[in-house]
Amino acid sequence: MLRYGLRVEWRPWYPARRPGSLWRRGSASSVDTGAGATVAALREARLLGSDLRGGLHGSGGTAAARRIRRLLDADAVVLADLEGPAAQHGSLPPGSEAGALLDEVYARGEALRQPPLCAAPLLVADELAGCVIAAGEVAAEDLSEVAGLVAEALDHAELSGARARIAAADLRTLRAQISPHFLHNALAVIAAHIRSDPTRARGLLTDFADYLRYSFSTKGDYATVAAELQAIQTYLELQSARFDDRLEITVRMAPEILPVAIPFLVVQPIVENAVRHGLEKKAGRGHIGVSGYGEGTMCVIEIEDDGVGMDPELARAILAGSGPRSKGVGLANVDQRLRTVYGQEFGLLIETAPDHGTRVEARVPRYRRGVVAQ
Amino acid sequence: MTGLLAIGLLIAASLAIGVYGVRAARTAPDFLVASRRVGTGRNAMAIAGEYVSAASVLGLAGLLLKNGIGTLWIAIGFTAGYVAVVALVAGPMRRSGAYTVPDFAEYRLGSPAIRKLCGAIVLVIMWLYLVPQFKGAGVVLQLVSGTPYWVGVVLAGVVVSGSIAVGGMRSATYVQAFHYLVKLVFIAVPAVYLMVHVGPEVRADALTPVGVPESWSRPLLDIENSGHPLLATWSMLLATTLGAIGLPHVIMRFHTSPSARAARRVGVIVIALLGLFYLFPAVYGLLGRVLTPHLVHSNATDTVAVVLPGEAVPGALGSVLTALVAAGAFAAFLSTSSGLLLALAGGLSHDLFGGRGLVGRLSRLRLAVAAGALVSVGLSLPAAHLDINMLVGWAFAVAASTFCPLLVLGIWWPRLTVRGAASGLVVGALTATGAALASALTEGHSGLVTVLLAQPASWTVPLAFATMIAVSLRGEPPAGAERAVLRLHAP
Repeated sequence: MLRYGLRVEWRPWYPARRPGSLWRRGSASSVDTGAGATVAALREARLLGSDLRGGLHGSGGTAAARRIRRLLDADAVVLADLEGPAAQHGSLPPGSEAGALLDEVYARGEALRQPPLCAAPLLVADELAGCVIAAGEVAAEDLSEVAGLVAEALDHAELSGARARIAAADLRTLRAQISPHFLHNALAVIAAHIRSDPTRARGLLTDFADYLRYSFSTKGDYATVAAELQAIQTYLELQSARFDDRLEITVRMAPEILPVAIPFLVVQPIVENAVRHGLEKKAGRGHIGVSGYGEGTMCVIEIEDDGVGMDPELARAILAGSGPRSKGVGLANVDQRLRTVYGQEFGLLIETAPDHGTRVEARVPRYRRGVVAQ
Repeated sequence: MTGLLAIGLLIAASLAIGVYGVRAARTAPDFLVASRRVGTGRNAMAIAGEYVSAASVLGLAGLLLKNGIGTLWIAIGFTAGYVAVVALVAGPMRRSGAYTVPDFAEYRLGSPAIRKLCGAIVLVIMWLYLVPQFKGAGVVLQLVSGTPYWVGVVLAGVVVSGSIAVGGMRSATYVQAFHYLVKLVFIAVPAVYLMVHVGPEVRADALTPVGVPESWSRPLLDIENSGHPLLATWSMLLATTLGAIGLPHVIMRFHTSPSARAARRVGVIVIALLGLFYLFPAVYGLLGRVLTPHLVHSNATDTVAVVLPGEAVPGALGSVLTALVAAGAFAAFLSTSSGLLLALAGGLSHDLFGGRGLVGRLSRLRLAVAAGALVSVGLSLPAAHLDINMLVGWAFAVAASTFCPLLVLGIWWPRLTVRGAASGLVVGALTATGAALASALTEGHSGLVTVLLAQPASWTVPLAFATMIAVSLRGEPPAGAERAVLRLHAP
């Protein structure tokens, strides 16, 4: 029988009214079944989840074992994964064979009771992932419920790890993706200049090399605003050659934010988006402005273009990740990464309207623990 | 009227530079080249510009007139502070990447709780520092326009928070550097002119003053003739020298430098710039002793720098000189208080109440600026009778007994613990602010107590250091402390 999955029906899984159990201190006499006890139980479940955020081998493993031991009023609790015990609180009674019990549980895949020990398997996402062993007077039923809870917490921890991996993979994709479109155009424009203006072609080729080096650099997840600006500059040099110098560029940057560390490739996709979706479709001269300044503890970077703009609804859809595939993948990715690094309120801000250009603003703290440019 | 006009022009120029100052480069390559060149010189001027406050422009001359030439130690302390900054914290602070002191505390100790504590102390220091700035602005506006003191203070609050709200600090480096030049020129030119104009007799009188109490010409700082000049001088030097390390708005300026080495070089240039500036307040104080001794009796010595040119030089030229000094003093107010208000607002919106709201980060900063200005104005109104330099001295004393130990031990001693840092901060903040409050609100202590309360640094700084070390030794340093410290010192 699988004791796993989201339970619609909530049954108290904690030992009810056991003398000496945890809930006695809050509710003075006999109101164990009241709201206070429920809240306390929910809190314990939540704290167990946060203990297990780093997995069984993480820093909270022992704390989780201790919490379970108190919940079940057990003498000792061992949390094990498939390789063996990972965390333990309390000492097992002498002579008890935890190793043998573990093998037995893994072989049969169900809860077992071998006094003085009791064990229940951890089924994370329907896969056997470990085992909880408790020593003392513990009902197999109770232990199975706790095992379900632990398994859910582990599943959760794995999911949040996966989220971080997805963000990193997105960044790699973005780096690899520097649109084939752009590569082709850049090479074509250099080729076009080779005979008519060899010096310019040479300069553009150097720019192109610099740009590739920056985009492919694997030194870390963060870069300074100055480095990012350098990449934009080389990118814009190439683009403006392609636009036959129809492209006008203004950069206004307060010097105090140049050393600020920001996530790698945050500004460049926005600029690329402005060129590709804003200015390419526009007839005549186009202008793109990049400006940055400090505002208290914040660092603000704005990218403006006077291109064709877009429907605000479309912009919203792009940021929500539900826009058309061809448009603004870079913007959605930047938005997502900013939120991952700095928190939910630090996404991109887009102001736009059809035929009125686009203004994208990124506003990030000047300092965030862990954000250091390599 | 000339004075008001000069101040108006100054505000307009500052706003223009603040909002449009970065429109320097048309193309990215131009810009990058330019920004590399900005480097040390302008950055140092910006730091000096933010640092030279009303305390230096008005307060120093006033206190010299009132208490005697021992006051010059304060100028020495203000400048010497940067020696400590350069030697101990500028480079490592830059390497940490931390922007504010709370950032540093979080970086080094890895605890969000200590961040909040630091945020609260930033508020205390900033307000102690802002009140004298607003007092200075109120006094200057009162002198040049004849409006009551409170009108000047309120107006100053409106001007400074308004200019931040419209983006007047967007290119803070350029504004502050401009303000340094304004202050230097507008204080130095009238000073030199006055020295030449008054003639040899007055000059001789100023250098060998007659008819002043003997204690006036003693080269030590005595507080209310308490009878312990040496202790008072040491204590004040300790506060100003170590306080410069702990002042939140000073430390965040080094973040602008591209590297730790550049940060230190900037600090050295700052020392030179400050040394140059502090030559001139003494001129006003010494000449004031001869030409405007009546200010001592009317307890308005803080006004001497503005009043003196008008009294010494009659006619239109005199009022032009007065206007220059007034504008210089107002520049001192404007640059220091906008830097302070931004630091304070950053602390309010980021460290103390920040982080969770999904809307209005921009308006939250503006709101915090407005709230900070409002409280400062409110506190400045009853502070009219307090000496500018006393108040600034307390801000330095609190900084020296809180953030100075935190930064110095945090950078140089890997064993510092969260608990140790927190208890040291609390002890330092409580004793230093407590002493300042007791000194401001009560009277009639005996000599020694007066000194210990008015210049608390001599005992609060060692106490804070001792608390941090003693409590830290009993605990375990946070995980990763060695690595964090190593990073601060690795080139």
